Amino acid sequence: MMRPTQRLSSRLNRTEMNWREKLWHINWTLIALLAAIASVGFLNLYSAAGGSLEPWAVKQMIRFGLGICILIGVAVIDLRVWMRHAYLLYLVSMVLLVLVEVKGTIGMGAQRWIDLGFIQLQPSEIMKIALILSLARYFHGATLQDVGRPVFLLPPLAMVLAPVGLVLKQPDLGTAMMLLMSSGAIFFMAGVRLWKFGVLIGAGLGAIPVAWQFLHDYQKKRVMIFLSPDSDPLGAGYHITQSKIALGSGGVFGKGYMMGTQSGLNFLPEKQTDFIFTMFAEEWGMMGGLFLLGLYVLLIAYGYAIALRCRSQFGRLVGLGITTTFFLYFFINTAMVMGLVPVVGVPLPLISYGGTAMLSLLFGWGLVMSTYIHRDHPIGRRGSYED
Amino acid sequence: MSLFAPKPRLPGVHAGEDLQNGPAALRLDGVRMRALESGRSRLIATAVGFFVAFAVIGVRMIDVAVLDANPARPRDLPQARTDGLEMERADITDRNGIILATSLPTVSLYARANEVLDAGEAATKLVSVLPDLDPADVRARLAGGRPFVYLRRNLTPRQQYDVNALGIPGLYFEKGERRVYPHGPLAAHIVGMTDIDNKGIAGIERRFDQGLRSSQQPLRLAVDIRVQTVVRNELQRAVETFRAVGATGMVMDAATGEMLAMVSLPDYDPNDPPAGQAEALFNRATKGAYEMGSTFKLFNTAMALESGRVNIGSSFDATKPLKYGNHEIHDDHAQNRWLNVSEILIHSSNIGSARMAMEAGVEFQRSFLGRMGMLSTPTLELPEIGAPLVPKPWREINAITIAFGHGLSVTPLQLVSGVAALVNGGLFRPATLLPHPEGEEIPGERVVKARTSAQVRQLMRMVVTEGTGKKAEVPGYEVGGKTGTAEKAVNGSYRKKAVLSSFVAAFPMDAPRYVVLVMIDEPQATKETYGFITAGWTAAPATGRIVAQVAPLMGLMPKAVPAPASMARTPTAHGSRDVAAVE
Repeated sequence: MMRPTQRLSSRLNRTEMNWREKLWHINWTLIALLAAIASVGFLNLYSAAGGSLEPWAVKQMIRFGLGICILIGVAVIDLRVWMRHAYLLYLVSMVLLVLVEVKGTIGMGAQRWIDLGFIQLQPSEIMKIALILSLARYFHGATLQDVGRPVFLLPPLAMVLAPVGLVLKQPDLGTAMMLLMSSGAIFFMAGVRLWKFGVLIGAGLGAIPVAWQFLHDYQKKRVMIFLSPDSDPLGAGYHITQSKIALGSGGVFGKGYMMGTQSGLNFLPEKQTDFIFTMFAEEWGMMGGLFLLGLYVLLIAYGYAIALRCRSQFGRLVGLGITTTFFLYFFINTAMVMGLVPVVGVPLPLISYGGTAMLSLLFGWGLVMSTYIHRDHPIGRRGSYED
Repeated sequence: MSLFAPKPRLPGVHAGEDLQNGPAALRLDGVRMRALESGRSRLIATAVGFFVAFAVIGVRMIDVAVLDANPARPRDLPQARTDGLEMERADITDRNGIILATSLPTVSLYARANEVLDAGEAATKLVSVLPDLDPADVRARLAGGRPFVYLRRNLTPRQQYDVNALGIPGLYFEKGERRVYPHGPLAAHIVGMTDIDNKGIAGIERRFDQGLRSSQQPLRLAVDIRVQTVVRNELQRAVETFRAVGATGMVMDAATGEMLAMVSLPDYDPNDPPAGQAEALFNRATKGAYEMGSTFKLFNTAMALESGRVNIGSSFDATKPLKYGNHEIHDDHAQNRWLNVSEILIHSSNIGSARMAMEAGVEFQRSFLGRMGMLSTPTLELPEIGAPLVPKPWREINAITIAFGHGLSVTPLQLVSGVAALVNGGLFRPATLLPHPEGEEIPGERVVKARTSAQVRQLMRMVVTEGTGKKAEVPGYEVGGKTGTAEKAVNGSYRKKAVLSSFVAAFPMDAPRYVVLVMIDEPQATKETYGFITAGWTAAPATGRIVAQVAPLMGLMPKAVPAPASMARTPTAHGSRDVAAVE
């Protein structure tokens, strides 16, 4: 489907496209997939509100519309522009992260938001994208020899660990994990030798007993609850127990749309955000869950195909990084809901109610789309149009 | 950052560089290809890894939704969170597990007065956080120098925190527990209460003091709190309506002797018991012995039938008052004619009853009442049990008065147990507050023949359908019963205006399940009763209301009622059988 058609396309791509041409090159299948997943979310939010567009579904639709506009806007901007401004974006995100530490809004026990008046900004979401962009830029020009040198790897490692540290301090274990894992994927893709991963992971595991001391009580509790969820079914284990009940009661074909009891009867607080998958699975059953899983698989396969197809290292790494982040969202959320990993606050991408995550994800997919549109553009080491 | 500085260009070794960049690129094709291939294979490896993750999610989804053999289930009742709390006393519950008495942990404040440095200052501070304490009293206690003195019991956590924050040396907290009765006065006379040291001092709490201490298992009673509520509400209403001094009521399972409800008014709140020997602490149902009056005629009739010298068709002369020595026996509802056995009961004839007792004989009457449990202290799992007042010697004049319920005082409990034996086919089973295991056959002592029991049931039904107990009828539930209005003996003579109105009933009469007793102490006439204070106007309607509520509660289906009967009885078109139907 996306096999390079050598000569003709390469010649075509050498000439710069104007934005109208770029619009024609947008991969509408990808957008359709995103819309399909988001629509599942709208249906769910409608049901979660007891059959009402208020208070969630309408807002979510508006956000999705806005997000798609952002996606297209981001997509038509040349990939090289993104590359040249990657470090700047990273710097801005770091400043925001520090700002949130100094004077952020405290909500739900964590300090994560900056109130800009018209929007509640969550700098860690921006950082997810900025980190991917700047890592991709760093590794873009790197040779295998470069990547083989440990000293060469120190700056990107610092680039990763600084925001991870700040996010952990908020505290937001889920986002920190996601930052770590998606940058890990980029390191891997850039060709870092496997034994170096081994050393890092080993060091990380060794640090767990030390880190345990710094975890908040509620985080410790969540891990303990994950290990034995039945020990406190009404307290900290409540969410996961109720969630499993709802999943189990859905059966193969579910209870039917708007017929969910667990979520409908408010057994699950915050049902419209992180635990929305439970609701969905109760109402649509295993088949519904597998259908949604299929949609996500398809979307991520698209992301990978685009990354594979891209000729520039930068585009490939960005595509991979964004897709990985998206995958991690989905994986961590569903695995959490099914009791496979501890409860961490990670939304179900494009479906959970919430603005920042939706917009930042669609921004990310905009970058993937940009990668797709500019797939045959050669990019010089520092983002120049020509070498 | 020197790392970001531009490096000398080595053409062709940059992995992401354009491949069609000139002849130099072609020469170093191998290196580039290696870099690219490595990148691609790693991309694929990651993708495979993620697809495996997807597969795990999918499999787990199937597992949770379909295959999970032991899925998490919602618990039917959330248990109270008492992890690691071992209470000194076990809970007491009703037959359905509703908690009647439970224990909560508390702390009490005490002082080692000899360690207190400045009693005056300590007392002032203490009173500032515990304003209900008396400053002078606290100062006296703290200054006393004794090594242990209680200052206040049962502090709330907030109070404990405040006292602790004062930092007065010599003050200590003692962990303890407090007995709590969530239903307040509702079952006070059954459950009883504990004293300040958590020792049972009344009711079940006292009777099973040892057991409640040694076991963590809740003690389950036969009482049904729903029935108890109905009975108490109706008695309360009767007491208020008739401005009575008290009342007692019971509901007993006729087949097992289990007490479903036992109320004695006035009662008290065991959470805050009245001080001293208050009248409210007196359990009329079990401790008070009363001359029962006409309800005793049920036993008299059964006795006469059992004696073999009287049958259901026998007639007795009730044309004129019966003279015995210098006593004269009158009828309240005098018919002044010969009456047969059923008429004697229905019209509650004292003369007829006395003649029946004389026919049966003094000795037979005595032994019969002995078998019915009327002459010995009843056995019930309560410490507050009264003994009957049995005449000694038992002469013919005693037999005559006992025939219509005077001269022998028994507790209401004995009356209910006896009636249960009369209607359940003739087997006497002692009353109990502990539940019998479901479906277990309870042995009983045969006291009357099954045939006599059937005849008594018929007679009781007739009392309600055409006798003095018409106001106890509940359409569909075939109530049967007997009224009794006993004049209270005060200082050796009977007072006409101070009566004990009682109604003892059983339902449904073809196969009685429950026996109900309502007894109102000194009801006063109201306009609605046209000045009457007899049981037919006071206790019988209350009984009817109790039956009307309890019967559906216990799952009894009403029998079809002939339409005209129900039309006549209720203003509603279809004879609805709610509470209003019996008013």
